[in-house]
Amino acid sequence: MTEIAIHIKLFGAFRKFGDALDFSVPAGSTVAAIKKVMSEFIKSKESTLVFDSVLANDNAVLPDNYIFEADAKLCILPPVCGG
Amino acid sequence: MIQSIHTSVSSNFLNIQDAYDFVSDPAHGAVDVFIGAVRNHHEGKPVTGITYDIHDELAVKEFQEICLEAQNIWEGIKIYLSHYKGQLNIGGISVIIAVSAAHRAEAFEACRYIIEELKKRAPVWKQEHYELGNSEWLPGHSLMVNAAQLEARLLQEDKKTQKSSGGCGNGTCGCGGRK
Repeated sequence: MTEIAIHIKLFGAFRKFGDALDFSVPAGSTVAAIKKVMSEFIKSKESTLVFDSVLANDNAVLPDNYIFEADAKLCILPPVCGG
Repeated sequence: MIQSIHTSVSSNFLNIQDAYDFVSDPAHGAVDVFIGAVRNHHEGKPVTGITYDIHDELAVKEFQEICLEAQNIWEGIKIYLSHYKGQLNIGGISVIIAVSAAHRAEAFEACRYIIEELKKRAPVWKQEHYELGNSEWLPGHSLMVNAAQLEARLLQEDKKTQKSSGGCGNGTCGCGGRK
């Protein structure tokens, strides 16, 4: 099975883990699957926050059923509270 | 062409005069300004400052969308929206929204609309700092709702396109399989 490289920039409460996370997933993985991998990867109280967060590229938020067939540079956006 | 919307994320201290200068217009008799500032308490805890984290590109995009929505509702208004990124002490200005309009009602209403939408939709996060030197990221509004709404909207638009194209989706009607 082909593996693809996922790079996720971190924001807000995820900053404690650094600027970004890198890991591999099988090609054809969805946003939901990537979130699950990420939650297992960080293994802390923030792991549940992953599921209240969204993944986005530099243009838009991606729905949970979005499929990745190639390497991707993403970011994870936890619940927002600007102003 | 005169620009009627300014949106930005800035690591420099925000300037109220810049906002006023941008929205000032001889045809507008009302300017409403909202200023967000760092307060010294939150839920009973003394606060010493806040760090603002922002996804710059997506934030500016969302700011633009919100401002365009406001202009669709209140035609002819001019809008300045800038959010600070970085650490601020008590009293520091985190956000400035200025709206000018011919009359006060639309200026007030549009300004309120913009700050409320920003709080729900813009990728901005606050880390509060406390007297003992500890800090905490504040909970907020999950963008999962926005993502679900976006998905539903795209699905709806897709259905409309299929309906207007009249394609059967499998080519049996001579549509070439277009959906």
